[in-house]
Amino acid sequence: MAVVTLNGLTKRYDRAHPAAAEDVDLEVADGEFMVLLGPSGCGKTTTLRMIAGLESITSGTLSIDGRVVNDVPARDRDIAMVFQSYALYPHMSVRDNMAFGLRRRQMPRAEIEQRVRDAAEILGLSTLMDRKPHALSGGQRQRVALGRAIVRDPKVFLFDEPLSNLDAALRVSTRSEIAALHRRLQATMIYVTHDQVEAMTLGSRICIMNAGRIAQVGRPMDVYRMPADTFVAGFLGNPPMNLIPATVTDAPGGRELRFGPNRVEVPAARTAPLEAGSAVTLGLRPEHLAPALDASDSAALWGEVVTVEPLGAETLVRVHLPEIADPVIVRAPGESEVAIGDRIGIRLDPSAAHVFHADGHSMTAAHHQARRG
Amino acid sequence: MRVATQSIVMAILCAYTMFAAGPFVWAAMLSLRTTSEIHLDHFALPDPMHWDKYPDAWFNSNYSIYFMNSLQVVVGAVILVTLIGAMAAHCLARYRFRLNRIIYFVLFSTIIFPPQVTIISLFQILVGYGLYNSKLGLMLVYVAIQLPLTVYILESFFARIPADLFDAARMDGYSDWAIFWRVALPVAMPAVTTTVILNFILLWNEFLFAVVLITDEANRTLPLGIQRFIGDTQEDIGMIATGLMIAIIPVIVVYAFFSEKLIQGMTAGAVK
Ligand SMILES: Nc1ncnc2c1ncn2[C@@H]1O[C@H](COP(=O)(O)OP(=O)(O)O)[C@@H](O)[C@H]1O
Ligand SMILES: [Mg+2]
Repeated sequence: MAVVTLNGLTKRYDRAHPAAAEDVDLEVADGEFMVLLGPSGCGKTTTLRMIAGLESITSGTLSIDGRVVNDVPARDRDIAMVFQSYALYPHMSVRDNMAFGLRRRQMPRAEIEQRVRDAAEILGLSTLMDRKPHALSGGQRQRVALGRAIVRDPKVFLFDEPLSNLDAALRVSTRSEIAALHRRLQATMIYVTHDQVEAMTLGSRICIMNAGRIAQVGRPMDVYRMPADTFVAGFLGNPPMNLIPATVTDAPGGRELRFGPNRVEVPAARTAPLEAGSAVTLGLRPEHLAPALDASDSAALWGEVVTVEPLGAETLVRVHLPEIADPVIVRAPGESEVAIGDRIGIRLDPSAAHVFHADGHSMTAAHHQARRG
Repeated sequence: MRVATQSIVMAILCAYTMFAAGPFVWAAMLSLRTTSEIHLDHFALPDPMHWDKYPDAWFNSNYSIYFMNSLQVVVGAVILVTLIGAMAAHCLARYRFRLNRIIYFVLFSTIIFPPQVTIISLFQILVGYGLYNSKLGLMLVYVAIQLPLTVYILESFFARIPADLFDAARMDGYSDWAIFWRVALPVAMPAVTTTVILNFILLWNEFLFAVVLITDEANRTLPLGIQRFIGDTQEDIGMIATGLMIAIIPVIVVYAFFSEKLIQGMTAGAVK
């Protein structure tokens, strides 16, 4: 059980390249399940490895339970890590793989055996204890890697994309097992992934990273509802939020956003700090858009259907709006009868629209004071 | 079609086996015949079989001494070269430090020098350190000449061990020293075994350094012992053959014992 605090944590591998992780400020509470989420190469693994003690810290401080551990070697930090490759010792049996970390801690033999047996029980590995890793399936290896961490009963668990080498079905079941494990152990866990479904389902909070920096930290649904900038808005959600370049204009009823021949009225408060004529980005989630059913409908936007993807429960419709480069994605009901080439209307709920400043940060979130640290 | 291909392959393999094993079988036959029998007919089968030539060589020609000397020098050298080589290879493969590649390259480039180039200066050095004509001196020379190849083979294998494995061991609480012994070395066992066999066979048969650096009868190794049957005026072919067979036996034992591992090591493309 432990609080992990990152203070301006920075890692620079070499001077020629930009920092792999820069000025990362994050506090992971005791017993929290924190997910580091971001595209490949954004510095998640680097950050995790600095916490583990496998990578030196260029600047900033890392504390565990208030004690600065920058210079404490990995072996003395009492942290366990599950690697993406599992990193099982190929020359040892499942039992020895799990017991290896305990042996070095001079624990009595009986207790080591007890712990290994308990962990094997939880993970359903009891019948495989004498096998070597090469004789295990991918899912079983993954469990051994989990078991090796559990037996240690460490202060902090670190996971680096532990599910990315599993097939889709196994990934879903293992995901819920990891969630169950967290509920059972109530331990502090930091989990790295590029998969937003894992992040949304597992995280007590998620920390979204972009190019070495933290873009936003918060509870999954808060981040989803109030993305702090266009990066988070475009990254989270499947399909992601539609981002449309627009211009602020004064209208008789208040303010509206124009893009091409289209105009959308948005709550005045969201554009209040901006002058008329400012460039902004309008953010519309696909699920907040709907195809207008008939021509008499007072649809807000009009465009031409480019692609139709029926997924069963829903149908994704991409609509080309005049003078806008990227088609807008609309989440339509599964039964929708829309065909490519149709000219359709799109209804939208202006109160669900997001407005982003030209520098990318959200006017909506700023307005709601919803940025969390 | 397939039968035809297979029989061609078999024919080639048989021809090669005869070519490779023929001289060995011939020497084995000679080892059981006396020199006068051999002079009558070079290729006759041993009849009667003179098994007594083996104890004769062992007890009356100092073979027991040569054999023990060879065993001491070669086993000692192989142990040392394996340990030093594995540690060096592990460091060069795993740690990033300045001059890493340069050290590796300089070490490896010594392979290109033929032994004749270094032997005079080696002789001088050993005399200077009082190691000339001693088993320890020969052993150290053997370690030095086999080290580059050993490091070369092991380094490429160590470099293929995934770094995550070492990181996992660090997280499990082990020091770098313990990680070498408990993770790196066991995982690299197939490659280590390969170098053990290779070094053992090469050094067991080594003649050039031994003949230059050892003159004392009590310190001679087996290859020098065999040479003793070649006199100034006559050669005792029969005893040379017997001596050869005695010398080959340990090589066969080592090879048989480790051969499965050797094949593993040579085919171990991927560390799982
Ligand atoms: N050992 C290393 N040496 C140099 N650069 C590295 C090293 N490890 C990672 N990087 C670089 O740091 C950046 C972040 O990498 P990483 O933390 O692995 O990203 P992620 O895990 O989010 O995919 C990348 O640009 C990567 O190329
Ligand atoms: Mg990564």
